[in-house]
Amino acid sequence: MLAQLVVSGIGQGSIYALVALGMTILFRVTTVVNFAHGELFMFSAFVIYLLLNAFDVPYLLAALAAILVLFVLGSVVERVLMRPIRHAPHMALAMMTVALSYLLRGVVRMGWGGDVRSLPPMFTFDPVMLGTVVLAAQDIVTIGATLLLVAGFFVLLQRSRFGKLAQAATDSPRGAALIGLNVPGFHRTMWGVAAAMAAIAGILVAPVTLLYPDMGAQVLVRAFAAMTLGGFGNLGGAVAGGLLMGVLEQLAGFYVSTAMIDIASYIVIIVVLLSRPAGLFGRVERVRV
Amino acid sequence: MSDPRRLLWPALLILAALPPFFVNDYVQYILNSILVYAVVAIGFNIVLGYAGQLAFANAAFFGVGAYTTAICMGRWHWPFLPALLSAALVTALVGLVVSLPALRLRAYYLAIVTLAFGELLRWGYIHADWLTLGSSGLPVPAASMFGISLASDRARYWLFLCLTALVLWGSANLLRSRFGRAVVAVRENESAAAAMGIAPALTKIGAFAWSGCVVGIAGAMFALLLGRINPESFDLSQLLLHFSLVMIGGLGSLVGSVAGAVVLTAAPELLRNVAGLEEIVFSLLLIGVLLFMPKGLAGLLSRVAVLREHLYLG
Repeated sequence: MLAQLVVSGIGQGSIYALVALGMTILFRVTTVVNFAHGELFMFSAFVIYLLLNAFDVPYLLAALAAILVLFVLGSVVERVLMRPIRHAPHMALAMMTVALSYLLRGVVRMGWGGDVRSLPPMFTFDPVMLGTVVLAAQDIVTIGATLLLVAGFFVLLQRSRFGKLAQAATDSPRGAALIGLNVPGFHRTMWGVAAAMAAIAGILVAPVTLLYPDMGAQVLVRAFAAMTLGGFGNLGGAVAGGLLMGVLEQLAGFYVSTAMIDIASYIVIIVVLLSRPAGLFGRVERVRV
Repeated sequence: MSDPRRLLWPALLILAALPPFFVNDYVQYILNSILVYAVVAIGFNIVLGYAGQLAFANAAFFGVGAYTTAICMGRWHWPFLPALLSAALVTALVGLVVSLPALRLRAYYLAIVTLAFGELLRWGYIHADWLTLGSSGLPVPAASMFGISLASDRARYWLFLCLTALVLWGSANLLRSRFGRAVVAVRENESAAAAMGIAPALTKIGAFAWSGCVVGIAGAMFALLLGRINPESFDLSQLLLHFSLVMIGGLGSLVGSVAGAVVLTAAPELLRNVAGLEEIVFSLLLIGVLLFMPKGLAGLLSRVAVLREHLYLG
């Protein structure tokens, strides 16, 4: 039973990891904590729902379209909402993403009402048996996609020229501009990429979960828990934290009480931030005065 | 009293006491809500605007105040005044607890931990049936104070007006005091403030506790206003309203907060019929303020010379 719980937890945790990864990448490059990331995720699930139900598009095409739509949405958000206030205090930037999250939620609620919706399953091949442990088709795809994306972003940010430019744009926007990097354009691209990552998580989740306007807030808190566990801004930490969070929820739900599934992430956030604010793998950050 | 400007506030208070004589019941209810949200906005502004701490626990504070009042009055049959005082005290303590992470964490960590805290409390309201009656809601009995019944919205209006005036006056004076100036100094530059002999940690704790106390009073008023409180009243859309009140009213202006409450409180009543409309309108207003009017309504009001000196530290 324990093995089964851990495997299901990793499947669920992959989603948290993907959402946390998108937020971490955006945070690394722009230093903005995106409170609307959960809503971008929710919005992409509804884009798929719309494409499948209203236009009868094949699943793969709908998924690609959703990624594209979210990339454009992310870029527009950067250009229209974030860039004009990029020199404002951090609180204004965070507040802007909060406002965006409510806007997206309101738009979806207005379009579809508060009802809970669902989609047919996307992957219909048989589950894989590992001894007595059942590995659902959906979990295989989710875990695989997460691993691929994590590996891709690790290479991109840590081992490539692009990663060096990203680091430069974060550390010294002015210096990066002086060597010819278009910093605002760079930020716009990263907003698009982060939103597209939220879309990938949304695509993977949409067929196996219920869709409703507030689903983003639930995932956002879990992604925060993942980032807190792994240490803010740490790519590997965000992924490990997401997987750990998924497993923790399954274990708490089974061994303690199902009501614990809802609050495990809140408790993790509070306990970790109070006892070990740099996360499980983080170093203590020293701030220069 | 030689300076006529000193008469501005007493005159406004007298004017504000008149409406119950000539408005209908519905308008009276809206006016009462405006006073509740004016107190909410004053309390939230202390943390958000004056202390500059991005905290998401305000809806939770509001809930703690309302639930404390409802439990004291409904379950233990206390009169309103002790229930109000307990609500203020309990919420101040909760504010103190929430401030602890603010002492060692950077800005966004505080936001996240307070977000988690608020949702955890809401989960608690739903699941602690034995205390809160869960999702079905906790009734609040009709109250009276000094032998005067508070069963009608008119009677409550004068009580709420007194409380609002008291909170506004108290907060304005506190913010003008050594402590209030320390709060602003810590917001502007923590290291510089510490170098001047201000203890940043104590100052932040004090700001959160004061904010909690004020929002707790608002919660008590809210419980009395509704007569029954539900966990859903303290969810994320309540928080959006609080953010909007403070940001649209003007960060760091108590008068702006009151103005924000006057302008925005009636809106949810008007927008409630279309699902999602309230979220859309408030978020667009917030975005508009962030982009084009960072000082909010207080920025507009400060163009009127008579008001200018009253806007920021009072």
